[in-house]
Amino acid sequence: MAQLYIETREDVYRYLLTLGVHPPKAQEAVQEVFLRLYTSLKKGEKIESLRGWVFRVAHNYGLKVRARQSAEQKFDPAFEARLASPAADAERNLLDREKMTRLNHAVEGLSDQQKRVLFLRMEGLRYPQIGATLGISASAVGEFLRRALLRLRKVRDE
Amino acid sequence: MNSLLARHPERDLVRYLDGEMPARKSAKVARHLESCGRCRAELETWKESLAECARYQHELAARMPETPQPWRDLYRDFSRIDESLANPSLLVRLTRPLVHSGAPRWAFATGLAALIVLLSLNQLRQAPSVQAASILRKAVAISESHPRAAHRIRVRTSHQQEFTRMAGAQAAVLAVAEAQAVSALFQAAHYDWDDPLSARAFQQWRDQQVHKTDEVTTVSNPQLPSWAYTQIKTTSPEGEIESATLTLNQGDYQPLEEVLEFRDHEWVELSEISEGDIAGGTLGRHVDIPVRAAEPPSRPAALSPESSASISDELQVLSALSAIEADLGDPVEVSLAGGKVKVIGGDGISPRRQDQIRASVAEIPHVEVEFAPPSPAAAPPETGATIAGTASAAPVSPLETRLEKQLGGHAELDRFSTQVLDLDEAAMQRVYALRRLAEKFSPQEEAQLRAQDRNALDELSRKHAAVLAEKVSGMERILLPTLTSLGGTVASVHPAGHTAWQPAAQDIYRSARRVEVLVSQMLGMTQGNASSNALPSDLMAALQELQGNLDDCQKFLQAR
Repeated sequence: MAQLYIETREDVYRYLLTLGVHPPKAQEAVQEVFLRLYTSLKKGEKIESLRGWVFRVAHNYGLKVRARQSAEQKFDPAFEARLASPAADAERNLLDREKMTRLNHAVEGLSDQQKRVLFLRMEGLRYPQIGATLGISASAVGEFLRRALLRLRKVRDE
Repeated sequence: MNSLLARHPERDLVRYLDGEMPARKSAKVARHLESCGRCRAELETWKESLAECARYQHELAARMPETPQPWRDLYRDFSRIDESLANPSLLVRLTRPLVHSGAPRWAFATGLAALIVLLSLNQLRQAPSVQAASILRKAVAISESHPRAAHRIRVRTSHQQEFTRMAGAQAAVLAVAEAQAVSALFQAAHYDWDDPLSARAFQQWRDQQVHKTDEVTTVSNPQLPSWAYTQIKTTSPEGEIESATLTLNQGDYQPLEEVLEFRDHEWVELSEISEGDIAGGTLGRHVDIPVRAAEPPSRPAALSPESSASISDELQVLSALSAIEADLGDPVEVSLAGGKVKVIGGDGISPRRQDQIRASVAEIPHVEVEFAPPSPAAAPPETGATIAGTASAAPVSPLETRLEKQLGGHAELDRFSTQVLDLDEAAMQRVYALRRLAEKFSPQEEAQLRAQDRNALDELSRKHAAVLAEKVSGMERILLPTLTSLGGTVASVHPAGHTAWQPAAQDIYRSARRVEVLVSQMLGMTQGNASSNALPSDLMAALQELQGNLDDCQKFLQAR
C-alpha cells in the first residue's frame, strides 16, 4: 500500500490537474482516494487492479470537486504550465511556452472523452481499466484512442 | 479465408500495439502483418503517434505545478481508520438508536436534512471569499509573470474631476493638483497609488481588512457571449474605504475597471484606456476617451501599414494559411504583436509542412514565422505487441442493438459509424476555424476594418461556413432517415435571434459539440444521461439547432 501510494500519487495528481481540478484540491483528492482505498481493503473488498481502482475513484472524485468549482475557477493545466515555467532563460522560456500552447491547441481539438482516454492511456492504464474509469466499454476506449491519435497524427503528417 | 486476413486490420492496429486484443485475434493480425507491407508501415506510424503522445505528456507533466504541500504521511490516517473501523463513529452510534429504536423515520430524515442545510449554508457563506481570493491570486500571478509596460488609466472622482495617468512599470510621478488629492486619499486608505488599477493593489488592500465581505459576479455581454468579466466587490466595516469593486477580463484576468467608495461618500473610478485608442504621448490632464468596461480592448488596428504590420497583413496571412488548410487542425497560431504578424507553429508539424506554411506567407510583408524545435526522440511507450490481451467484450447498448438491426448487420453499422464520424470530424474542423475567426474579429473590430479587409474576412468565414453546411447536410442525409426509423421526431426549434455572424458562430460551436456528444452516445462510444428512447429525438433536435445557427451565420455573411 505504501509503495503504491509513493509510486502512483504523482500520476493521479497530474491526471486530476488535466481534469481541471486545482492543485491544492487535486492533492487533497489524491490523499483522500488512498484513504478510501485503505478503508475498502480493510473492509475486505476484493480489488483486481489497485492502480485502476485508484484512477477510477480519483476520476469520479475529481469530477465532483471540479463541479463545485465555478466556471472561472476551472484549472487550466496549459495555462498554469506557462506560469510555472522557470524564468532563467527568457528566450527559451518564451519558445517553450509557445510550444506548449501549440501542443495544447492540438489536443484542444479532441473531445473531452478522447482527451481522458489519451491521458489515462499515457498513465499506463489498460483499456478495461480506462473503460471502468470512464464508464465505457474497452472497445469504445480503443475507438476513442484511435480517433484521438488519428486527429493528432493528421497534424504531424500534414 | 479468414475475414481478418482478407481485409487490412487498420482499425485494430492501435489495440494490437497496446496488447488489448484477445490472443487469437492478435495472432491473426500478427500473421497479416508478416505478409502486408502496407499494414506494417501503418503500424509504424501508429507507434510514432503513441511515442509523440508520450513526449507531449512528458512535457506537460514537467511543466505542471508541483504539489502545493509535501505529501502527507498517511500512516497516521491509516491508524485512525483502523480505530474507526474498530469503534463505529459518533454519528453511527447516535443514529443507531434512532434507526433501531423505532423512532419515526421522518425525525431521522428531518435531523439529517437540517444538518445538510447547515453545512450547505456554511459552505455558501464562505464560497465568495474563497472564490475572490482564488481569482485574485491567479490575476496577481499573471501580472507578475507578464509585467505590463507603462499603460494609461483614466481616473474619475466624485468631484467630477477626470484625468489620465500612467501606471505600471514606468509610472510617472504626478504633479497635477487633482492627482495629488486622489493620491492623498489612497495613501490615507492604505491603497497602493503607484499601480492602483491592479489585482495586486486590490489584493493587498483586501488582505488588510479583517471583517470583509466579498461578492463575486460574472458579467457577460449578451451580444458577445465570448466576452465576459469577473467582478469582485469587497466591503469592509473598517478603514477609509467602504467598498472596492474590481472588474477583471475573464479571459486573461487583466483589470479593466475599479471603483473605490470611501466612507465619506467620495468615490474614485479607475478604468483602463486601451492602447489602440491613444496616439502616443505621456500624461494628459484630461483625455476625453470613452472607456466602457463591457467592451473588449481593441487591437492595434491603427498601426501604419508602411512601417509595421496591420490587420490587413494579418488577414492576408490568415487567408494564405487557409488556402493550404493550415487553419484546419494544424497547431498554428497567428497574432498581431510588436508590429509583426507572428505565425507560430507548435510541435508536431513536419518539415515539409513547415516549408509549405513558410512559402504560403513568404510574399506578405512584416511576417515572422517560427516553429517549435522538434522534441528529442523519446522511447516509445511500453506497448508490447506480444502481450496477450484480455480485453472484455464490449457491452452493447439497446440502442446500438436496434441500430445494428435497422442497418442490416454489424458491417453496415461499422460503415455507418465511419461515415458519420468522418463527416462529424470534418465539420468540427470548420466549426473550430469559424469560431476562431469570430473570436479574433468581434463585431466592433469588424466594423473598423477597411472594405478590402472586411471582404477578406467575409471570404474566409463564408468558405468555412459553406464547407460546414455541406458536412452538416451530409450528416443529416445519413442520420435523419435512421433516426426517424428509430422513433425520433423533429421538434420545433426557436430561432436564436442572432445580431451578427460572430454570436451565431459561437452557437454553432455549442450545437455542433452537442451533436458530437449525442453521435458518440448513439454509437456506444460514450455513456450519457439521455435514455436510448430519447436519444434519436435529441440528436434530431441538436442537428436542427445546428442547422438553424448555421443558416443564421450564413445569412449575415451573405447579406453584405
